[in-house]
Amino acid sequence: MQLQYFLLLAAALFCIGIYGLITSRNAVRVLMSIELLLNAVNLNLMAFSNFIDSTLIKGQVFTVFVITVAAAEAAVGLAIVLAIYRNRDTVDMEQFNLLKW
Amino acid sequence: MFESLLETVWLVPCYALLGGILALPWSPGIIRRTGSRPAGYVNLVMTFFSLLHSVLAFTATWNHPAKEVLIPWLSTVGLNLTINLELSSISVGALIIITGLNFLAQVYAVGYMERDWGWGRFYSLLGLFEAGLCALALCNNLFFSYVILEILTLGTYLLVGLWFSQPLVVTGARDAFLTKRVGDLFLLMGVLGLWTLAGTWDYQDLAIWAQTAKVDQTIITLVCLALIAGPMGKCAQFPLHLWLDEAMEGPVPSTILRNSVVVASGAWVLIKLQPVFSLSPVASSAMVGIGTVTAIGGSLIAIAQIDIKRCLSYSVSAYMGLVFIAVGTQQDEAALLLVLTHALSAALLVMSTGNIILNNITQDVTQLGGLWSRRPISGLAFIVGTLGLIAFPPLGSFWALVKLADGLWETQPWLVGIIIAVNGLTAFSLTREFSLIFGGKAKQMSERSPEVIWLMVLPMMVLFGFVLHLPLVLQSLSLLPDWAILNKDVVLLLIWSSIFGCSISGVIYLGNIAKPIRLPWKGLQDLLAYDFYTPKLYKVTIIFGVAQLSKFADMVDRFVVDGIVNFVGLFSLLGGESLKYSTNGQTQFYAFTILLGVGILGAWMTWPFWGIQFIDLIF
Repeated sequence: MQLQYFLLLAAALFCIGIYGLITSRNAVRVLMSIELLLNAVNLNLMAFSNFIDSTLIKGQVFTVFVITVAAAEAAVGLAIVLAIYRNRDTVDMEQFNLLKW
Repeated sequence: MFESLLETVWLVPCYALLGGILALPWSPGIIRRTGSRPAGYVNLVMTFFSLLHSVLAFTATWNHPAKEVLIPWLSTVGLNLTINLELSSISVGALIIITGLNFLAQVYAVGYMERDWGWGRFYSLLGLFEAGLCALALCNNLFFSYVILEILTLGTYLLVGLWFSQPLVVTGARDAFLTKRVGDLFLLMGVLGLWTLAGTWDYQDLAIWAQTAKVDQTIITLVCLALIAGPMGKCAQFPLHLWLDEAMEGPVPSTILRNSVVVASGAWVLIKLQPVFSLSPVASSAMVGIGTVTAIGGSLIAIAQIDIKRCLSYSVSAYMGLVFIAVGTQQDEAALLLVLTHALSAALLVMSTGNIILNNITQDVTQLGGLWSRRPISGLAFIVGTLGLIAFPPLGSFWALVKLADGLWETQPWLVGIIIAVNGLTAFSLTREFSLIFGGKAKQMSERSPEVIWLMVLPMMVLFGFVLHLPLVLQSLSLLPDWAILNKDVVLLLIWSSIFGCSISGVIYLGNIAKPIRLPWKGLQDLLAYDFYTPKLYKVTIIFGVAQLSKFADMVDRFVVDGIVNFVGLFSLLGGESLKYSTNGQTQFYAFTILLGVGILGAWMTWPFWGIQFIDLIF
């Protein structure tokens, strides 16, 4: 029954991330929420690789890739936030609604 | 040789049509330099050919059985439309009357239309009328009779509307077209209804069918009433009679044709359909009723008119009413004879009054007077026309009316009373018109009134001769009723009614009674003078109804039908306009909608695995 607890924890973390992703006004906090999502995914991968695929542990390989990609993504994301900040002097997500209808 | 002329008598309408077409190039827009007179001459030549051909063919057909000519027209599945021409002495005789009167009217028009540039149009329409009437006379098929009647209705519209710059002409032409059209459309219903009953449109076959037909009485009555409605409009019978009054706005030469021949086209179809009408007693009595009302009403209205042409047009309605009575009481021969004698006399009367109009300008009989000494020829023509129209022995209509009355004496004596009354009233009105125009003292408008040129007098005098000789012609063709078996009482009553009518009218209008005559009841006089207020009657009934219905339909179209379609457009426009706000520019909102979509899709797809338990959990 341990796998379910891991998965439930990961799902809870994912939902917390989602909540943060949708409600945060600060762009950096949005990026942080995305990190939470990715870490929830990593938890899932690790859990599956331990309980289902303990010999070949492909899930752990996936996790390594996800961490590296997440690092790159966070870097690019912060770069984008910085670029917007330079132009608009704010990181408030509600000020970024220029591309509408 | 005459035989071959008889075989080719179907060319007679073609000559006339050709004349009509040949007249068109002389319209002012096409031949600009030389005037339009040749249009008339071409037509005269073609009409003369038609007349000659008809007369020669008549000698070949006299005392011979009728022949048929079949011209296939259209053949589809289950329907063969063959133009069926009857070459009998009656139809060829009708051709002579039509072409002869047309020839005279055209000669008359050469004089009358002297100062008019519209000969191309006028003569081509006269040619069309001649062709149509000749085709109708020859045609032995109800369907093609209907076709021709419709073409003639269009012709009437164009011919009445010749001088279309006058507003009254435009309304008159409109009414003439629509009124006759309504009748024709009812006729079409009857024609189609008759096909389902009889399966044939040939007049002979219809007559044979009618002898043994066993049909539902209601159906045949309705069909017969529809068949009556067509001639009712054509013959200007009540209540479809207003158009003839307003058609008097057209030029006089066309009026000659209209009063004598065109209105008779309806009577012709009616006479041909008489065997069918005999199937339905209701239709026959309806015909007699319509004829009676029109005859009495028309002759009363004619007395109260002051327009020289309208005085005559209502008499035409009245006499066509007598034809209706004759057909309604199964007296075809009397009806045909009456149509013939009426045509000649009515044409003579119109020619005579046309002569007066041309040189006195006014058409108001109360402004005319004292022309007898200076216009004796026109006056004599009017007298002969009058005597030819009323029952005055030995002239034509006397025999027709005597024949009609004699046939009714035993069965329906009250109809004889109607005929006598109509005869007396017509005698009164025509004598009144004569007295007002030719009698009394000259008034301002008729102070100087020269006789018209020979082109108008000559056809009038030729017709004058024909009216005088008609009894002799009829006698030689042994068409007169046999004097020995006639009821002498009827004859005497008719003669007395003519004498009474003429003499009372003469005493009133030539005597020293103060003019203008006022009836003690002004309301009655106005009622008759304004034609029973028929225009108002139309206006408040049919025209009002159709106008309201049209407005309603227009509103439904504008608001409901258009509205529904426009609403669809408007709805999609509003949809786009309002739904675009879903693209609100907030990235987080987009993320939210993506998650929402994924969530709903996931819930929906996995529903079978947990839905039941979920519902159990809630309830």
